[in-house]
Order: sequence, then C-alpha cells, then structure tokens
Amino acid sequence: MRRIRTLIKREYIAAVKTKGFVIGLLLAPVIFGGSGIAMAIFAGHVDTTDKKIAIIDHSGAVVQALLDAAEQRNAEQVYDKETGDKISPAYVLLRIEPDPHDPELQRLALSDQVRDGTLHAFIEIGPSVLHPDRDSAGARVSYHSKNPAADETRRWIANPLNEQLRWERLQEAGIEQTEVPDLFDWVSVDGLSLVSRDEASGEVQEAKRKDEIEAFIVPLITAGFMILLMMMSAAPMLGAVMEEKTQRVAELVLGLATPFEFMMGKVIGALAVSLTGGIFYLVAAVLMLSTLGAFGYFPLHVIPWFFAFLILGIVFFSAMYAALGSVCNDAKDAQQLTFPAMLPFLLPMFLLVPILRAPLAPLATVMSLIPPFTPLVMLLRMTSPEGIPAWQPWAGLALLAISSILSVWLSGRIFRMGILSVGKLPKFRQLVKWAVRG
Amino acid sequence: MNAVDITQATKAFGKTVAVRDLDLEIPAGSIFGLIGPNGSGKTTTMRMILNILYPDSGVIRVFETERTGPRLADVGYLPEERGLYRKMKVRDLLMFFSELRTGKPNPLDVDGWLETFAMTGHSKATIESLSKGMSQKVQFIASVVSRPRLVVMDEPFSGLDPVNFEIMRTAILDLRREGTTIILSTHDMALAESLCERLCMIHLGVKVLDGTPEAIRTAHGSEMVLLECAEGTVPWEAFPEVKDVHERASSYELTLNSGADPQQLLAALIQRVRVHRFEVSRPSLHDIFVRIVRREGKEAAHA
Repeated sequence: MRRIRTLIKREYIAAVKTKGFVIGLLLAPVIFGGSGIAMAIFAGHVDTTDKKIAIIDHSGAVVQALLDAAEQRNAEQVYDKETGDKISPAYVLLRIEPDPHDPELQRLALSDQVRDGTLHAFIEIGPSVLHPDRDSAGARVSYHSKNPAADETRRWIANPLNEQLRWERLQEAGIEQTEVPDLFDWVSVDGLSLVSRDEASGEVQEAKRKDEIEAFIVPLITAGFMILLMMMSAAPMLGAVMEEKTQRVAELVLGLATPFEFMMGKVIGALAVSLTGGIFYLVAAVLMLSTLGAFGYFPLHVIPWFFAFLILGIVFFSAMYAALGSVCNDAKDAQQLTFPAMLPFLLPMFLLVPILRAPLAPLATVMSLIPPFTPLVMLLRMTSPEGIPAWQPWAGLALLAISSILSVWLSGRIFRMGILSVGKLPKFRQLVKWAVRG
Repeated sequence: MNAVDITQATKAFGKTVAVRDLDLEIPAGSIFGLIGPNGSGKTTTMRMILNILYPDSGVIRVFETERTGPRLADVGYLPEERGLYRKMKVRDLLMFFSELRTGKPNPLDVDGWLETFAMTGHSKATIESLSKGMSQKVQFIASVVSRPRLVVMDEPFSGLDPVNFEIMRTAILDLRREGTTIILSTHDMALAESLCERLCMIHLGVKVLDGTPEAIRTAHGSEMVLLECAEGTVPWEAFPEVKDVHERASSYELTLNSGADPQQLLAALIQRVRVHRFEVSRPSLHDIFVRIVRREGKEAAHA
C-alpha cells in the first residue's frame, strides 16, 4: 500500500503542479460551454437596421392590418423605454399594388431590389387567402428574402396575418370584434412541479414553477462537468501509460513496484486529480450562484451522487485505459485504440437531449443501468425535474461499483502482461486471453 | 549465504523457451556477471530474480526467501533500456525512487550519491535538460539509492565516456565493499573478467558456463598459439596437436587439443615452415564466449 501511496503522490503532483492544469481548470468550462457563451454574447448583438418589406396583397383583406401591426410594434418594441436605445429593427411595410399584366416581371423586379439591398424582403398574399379550403393554390402566402428560413421578420408576420384573417372570417359570419375582444388572447401553460405535503409541518406545499433552466440547463451543466472531469483525468491515461512504456520509465518503476501497484498508483492519482477539479468547480458554482442570487437552481441533492458516480466512473475508465496504454508500443498503436476506447464514454453524449426529454423512457432507463454509461446518463436523469424512481440510482451505483472492481482486476492482468510486451499490438483475442488467464 | 538461489527455473513465452532448467547460485556480497549474446535469456533471468516475471517452473529464492508478487525493498534494478520522468527534477526523482523502495524518502542518501557523482549542482535541473551521461548517472543512483542489498544491473556501462565509466566502476566496487550483492549483465568480456568474482554464461536459454573467471578459463582453456610464418600453405592435418585454426590477416590463431605440448608443435612446425612468431597464450573470456556461441550455433544449425 505504501508503494501505491508513493506512486499516487507522484502522479498527482506531476499532474497538478503544472501551469497546464491550472489554465485547463479555468479555461475548460469556457471552451466546453463556448457555444452557449457565444450564443449568449451574440444574442445581445441584434441587427437593428430597419427592415423594408414590400407587400403585394392580391386579396386586399390583410395588408392594412399588417401595416397597423407593424406600426404598433415599431412604437412599442424598437426602442428601450428606459434608456431610449434602439434594441430592435423597425419593420417598414410598403403596400405594392399587384401587376395584373405581368406578375412574374413584378416578382423579378422586387427580387432585384432585395438583392441590391433596397428591400429586406417582399411578401405576396394570394387572392383566396381568406378561404384556403375553397382554393388552396390561391391562398398561398409567399415570403421572399435572401435567407427566408432563418428570417425573424417572417416568423413575426405570421401572427398579425392570421389574426386578421380570423377576424375577417368572423365578420363574414356576422360576429363583430367588439362583441368578443379577447377572442384570440393567448394564454400560456406554466410548467409546475407536483404539490406535496411537508413531512415536518404537515402543511401542503405549493407547486414550484419549473422553467427551462431547471429542465435543461441544470442537467446539461451537471453532465458537462462530469464529462469534463473524466476527460481531464481518465481519458489521457491511455497515452500517458504508452508514453511511460515507450520512454522506458515503466521497467525502472517495475523493479520497485508490482504492475498492479503501478497501475493503481496511476488510477488513484487520476482520481485525485479529478476530485481536485470537482471540488474546485463545486466551490466556484456555489459562490457564483450565491452571488447571482440563483442558488435555488443548484442541484444540491445530486452532489453526493455526482461524486460517487465520478469516483467509480474514473476508476472504471482509468483502469481500462491504463491496460490499453500498456499494450501499445508507439503513438500509432495508441491512436488506433483511442477511438474504440472512447466510444462507451462518448456514446451517451450524443443522446443527451433525447434522454433529457424523456428521462423515464426505456432508452434512458436501460442506458443509465449500463455501467459505462451510468455516471453520465443516471446523473442526467436525476437532475431532470421529472425525477426517477429512487431504486434506480442505487442499482446503477451498485452495478457500476461491481464493474469498476472487475475493470481494475481484468485491467491489472492485461497491464502486467502488456507493460513488458514488445512488438505488434496484440489482437483483441489476445487481450481477452491475458485478462482471463492472467 | 547466497543472495540468489535459482533451482530448475524455466520460463517460456508462447512457444519460445527463454530460460530452460536454470540452476544458479549467486553468493551474497559478490559481483556476479551474467553474460551471453543478445536474446540468450539474460534479461528474462534478471526479471525473474526481480519478480517482474514469474518462472513457469522451478524456484527462485532471494536472500533465502521464495517470493512471488510483492517487490523486495532491498533489491535495486537498472534495466538495459531505461528512461526517467523527463519533467521531474533530479533530486525529486531520486527522492521518489528512494521512497518507492523503502516507504520514506532518504534525503541523506540521495544527497550523498549526488555528491559522489559530482551532481549536486544539477539537483534542481529537470531530467530532460541533462546530457545522456548525466541522465545515465541519475538512473544508476535511482537503482542504488536507499542502499538495497542486491542490485541487478543490465549493461550499466553502455554508452559511458571513460571518465564516467571509471566513476561508475568505482561506485560498484564501493557498493560491493559495503556488502551489496551486484548482478551485472554485460557484453564487455574484459570488463566482466576484471570486475566479476563469478560469471554465468547463458546461451539459447541454457547455462553454458558458471564459475570464477579463473576456473572457467582453466576448464575451457585449451592453450592457444599465435603463429606468424612464411607465406605458403601449412598442412594442418599433419599436426595432431592442433584442434582448430583461425586465419587472420597475416597470422594464424591455433587452438591446441587438450594436453598438447606447444613445444612439440613448435619443433614440428620448424621442420615444415619458416616460423617468424610463435606465442603461447591462454584463451581470454572473450575467446571462450565466441567459441561457445559459434559451437552452439553450428550445433543448432545441424540439429
């Protein structure tokens, strides 16, 4: 044990006492969450250039309503009421009379204006827009611009257009707008948790409002940190062991420590590195959320689980990667093994969103009970507001613990043979033989 | 007392038998030479002594204890192909190895060794900044720091310049004087002859020589003659004293049959050729080594 302790100490100091570790610790979340941060930054940088849009209304029924709606929007939403800053573009709608003789030529001319920047877009409203059931081809509304799919104005215009059409249809049916002014008022559906009784006081507690932050952001950030800490410690193990073997350090150490002691020194050293990172991020998250007054979002109940899954996950993967690193004889061998070795680690990352959307679905449940996927998937399910049956995290933890012990045992046998092996990269069958027969 | 006792040890890798039925006794406090050509089984033998490899059959005792599994605190190892943690500082690295050996770092011994090798000024240098000779000295210190009772060294002198060679040779002799047993593997027969009290030669996994250099030379020492004579063909079959002839550029190296009298050979030679030089010598360890390897090679080819 004392030899393992000495090896852990060396591994830990070698990893932590570098500028790379400190910089990585600080920068990793930035790089990891880079896209989210970039989106947040660019969300504030809206293009406030006014948008000139031409409307050809063949029906004559909606153009005025659209002009009015744009005017109202421009008055209310273009300038910040407190600062007076322009925060959104004004929509300048232009009524264009349809050309009955050559509509194609009219469309071409308007398209040219969009191309040269005079117009942002032009809209053509079909003559039968009021009754699509009678003439669906004539009811079409077309929006022409350089990038219509991602055009915010196109999305906006659909609302006032449809509202006006509904009023027109009601008017035809003899119902006046003044009779039911709130006919089309929209109500949103709030997501709330279930009502429960407080065990201590016996009082019924009000349901809490559940928002997107709780439903998606918190689980994703928690899972993100799990991935980050595993990447930081377990993933580099394969290359590190290969390097120690090829640089002939391994045999010198093997003169003083058994292969198992050597491997465990590296595995627990990696674990210590990731726990250091984990505690650092935990303290940083508590401080940051407390400062922002958003401590309510902190998933306090999953923290012990987070560390339990992290510890077992790192032991599982580090031992496996150390064994694979020990059979490599050069960087090419390591490269060849890296992708298949990383696959069980990467697979759940591709399924984050489906798991979050349905954390109780069979896919999510089964995956969370498969040991290599457990740390990430179970944690993701646990942090989702829906919650999961209480036995599942325990079952996942037990299976992962058994697998980690098995991984250490089998990897130790491969490591003992692999670290002194030379020549070609052994085939999978050979690795199984080493693992089983020792 | 023996530091190492090996009885009938055999180790195979797949179908290749690296060491076969090896019996070996290494007296405590001696410098023991392990010689043999490349791939003969020396490294496997050393790894078995160190418990890095376990024999398939047979028994290996170190200081009278049969061990499998845990490493021995009182055994040091300097492998042939060696490296060090490149980013570590010299002193930190040696402290690490001393702690790995005994459980606690031994700064006194580390500093003592650094002083012996005139490396005190480099104690804070990183390994990657050292010259090859310097890092070889660090590797040597790593294998002997905290004073193990048995040190196994695989080619410890390879690549050393004469100055560092002498420093290391003196250090090995000093260790022996203090009672340390040293197992030395080398291809340098002259060095083995001058440094080792006992020698063992392994060839094709089998022990072919074992004893003191003097005893080996006596046992395998058919006398040799260096002959320079006038040009012309010598009818060697006419000289029953001659066992083997090795032709050199301008001379012959003759191996005599056991018990043959060089004086009689000289007398017979003078009758037939004009002799310029006739020098009687005993074979060196190198000669015996080469002779055995050639003979075994021929036998293997015929088999």
